[in-house]
Amino acid sequence: MPLRDNKQLTAFIPGTIIDVKVKVGQQVKQGDILVILDAMKMHNRIISPINTTVKEINVKPGDRVVKGFVMVTLD
Amino acid sequence: MPLKSKIEELKKRKEEVLQGGGEQAIAKQAAMGKLTARERIIALLDEDSFHEYDLFVEHEARDFGMDGKVLHGDGVVIGTGSIYGAPIAVFAQDFTVAGGSLGMMHARKITKIMDYALRMRIPLVGINDSGGARIQEGVNSLAGYGEIFWRNTLSSGIIPQLSVILGPCAGGAVYSPALTDFVFVVDKISKMFITGPEVIKSVLGEEISQDDLGGARVHAEITGNAHFYAESEIECFEQIKKLITFIPWNNSRKARRFEPKEPKPEFNIGKIVPNDPKQPYDVRDVIKALADDSDFFEIQEMWAGNIVIGFGRLNGETIGFVANQPLVMAGVLDVDSSDKAARFIRYCDAFNIPLCTLVDLPGYLPGIDQEHAGVIRHGAKLLYAYSEATVPKMTVILRKAYGGGYIAMSSRHLRADFVFAWPGAEIAVMGPEGAANIIFRKEITEAANPEEMRRKKVEEYKEKFANPYVAAARGYIDTVIEPKETRKLLLHALEVSSTKVADRPSKKHGIPPF
Repeated sequence: MPLRDNKQLTAFIPGTIIDVKVKVGQQVKQGDILVILDAMKMHNRIISPINTTVKEINVKPGDRVVKGFVMVTLD
Repeated sequence: MPLKSKIEELKKRKEEVLQGGGEQAIAKQAAMGKLTARERIIALLDEDSFHEYDLFVEHEARDFGMDGKVLHGDGVVIGTGSIYGAPIAVFAQDFTVAGGSLGMMHARKITKIMDYALRMRIPLVGINDSGGARIQEGVNSLAGYGEIFWRNTLSSGIIPQLSVILGPCAGGAVYSPALTDFVFVVDKISKMFITGPEVIKSVLGEEISQDDLGGARVHAEITGNAHFYAESEIECFEQIKKLITFIPWNNSRKARRFEPKEPKPEFNIGKIVPNDPKQPYDVRDVIKALADDSDFFEIQEMWAGNIVIGFGRLNGETIGFVANQPLVMAGVLDVDSSDKAARFIRYCDAFNIPLCTLVDLPGYLPGIDQEHAGVIRHGAKLLYAYSEATVPKMTVILRKAYGGGYIAMSSRHLRADFVFAWPGAEIAVMGPEGAANIIFRKEITEAANPEEMRRKKVEEYKEKFANPYVAAARGYIDTVIEPKETRKLLLHALEVSSTKVADRPSKKHGIPPF
């Protein structure tokens, strides 16, 4: 059982995607901003919890996402 | 027998007991990456300050082959010493002796040092490393745990109680740490659970390792049971020592005063919080821009990160900082963050530590799971804790303060002593979008271009209400200040509230929404 899912990054609340900062296959470091999610009156930074590569991106700017939606999958 | 021989005998007896569980057991402990009970105490306390008591205690068990069995010190070390000169009472379970199992005399040693700590009004540090109840001693073991829990509760709010988990701590044993103020865990060493993997497997058929069930990271990140997480025992002891510098010996004293120091220049308070309320930032930088020497000692760093709690100093005096964290989940209040902050506020109030609250939040987190997880009950803890606290309470509204979140975060209405707001503060019943949609619903729906009308009305509302001056006009905030004036005002507030009188109607105790 994983402590915290470090591979599947989900929306903590419904919101709108403002920006996608990375591409599939791109190497990312812990703390890098992957996606900006507008929710709860904030441009929330969705950051990489680990050093890895981006496996899948399921959102593009302007998309509305529901709570729990997997926005980015990491390798 | 001449005196010299008597002294020789004492030395011999001591030497034997100090072997603990013997060479083999000590080697096993070392192989697990663990120090022994006495090594731990020596590493934690000031050099040569430790004095051990009850070295020669022996168990009285007769059943199940216990008769005649020697258990040195009955598996626990107790004594007194100091940390940076502050007196400390300590017990450390000795895993090398019968797995640190808790029998009747073992428990009596612990309760003896607990009674001593309470009587002398000095902090108690308990180092837990035990397989649990000593089964051979039956109900006497259970009685021992009960006696410990009762004393933990009796001492709560009078002396600081710190629990260090340096090994297994399972079953009933977990409740003593849970009743204390601060719990320290170490990666790969700490294990805490009510029922272990074997029971879970036999009853539920679920398989899980000890670490995944109740390891250090689980309690630091998921359950919130632990307050401090370390990678090694030595790092853990450094955390304990640092904590001791921030807290008083007991509830009738103030924490030790340090030489005041200005914050470090790299934390420029005017440049941390973005003007655009939708842009996040790390609120810990604001705390560091305010605190002496930019020194901030964070508590429960890895759990409920949407609220930040911890100790810093203002003008040399310990302060409890509570701050919404816009960097994590927009800084919302939810079940866990309310719970985390509420407990910390009550700790500070019990130990005469003034509170400084930094506000920037969109409100409580909406959602079915939050409602069903009891956000009403947990959110109420925060209101209760702030309302109940009589220590000096200083509030700085940095940016957003909307709705219930505004009230909960140490508002004037919950009797904050000082409420300051920055010029960019937005203090209103709700955010401009939501408010405009409700107030101007008719105009918006009936307009030729509803979207444009909505935008116009949102702007109108923002202009009129998303500022600190409506609240200032009612005296709900005391003054609107520039960010760079904040530390100066907090220092002043602290000075004028040092003789604060807060009379409350007498009662046995309140009933907080636990």
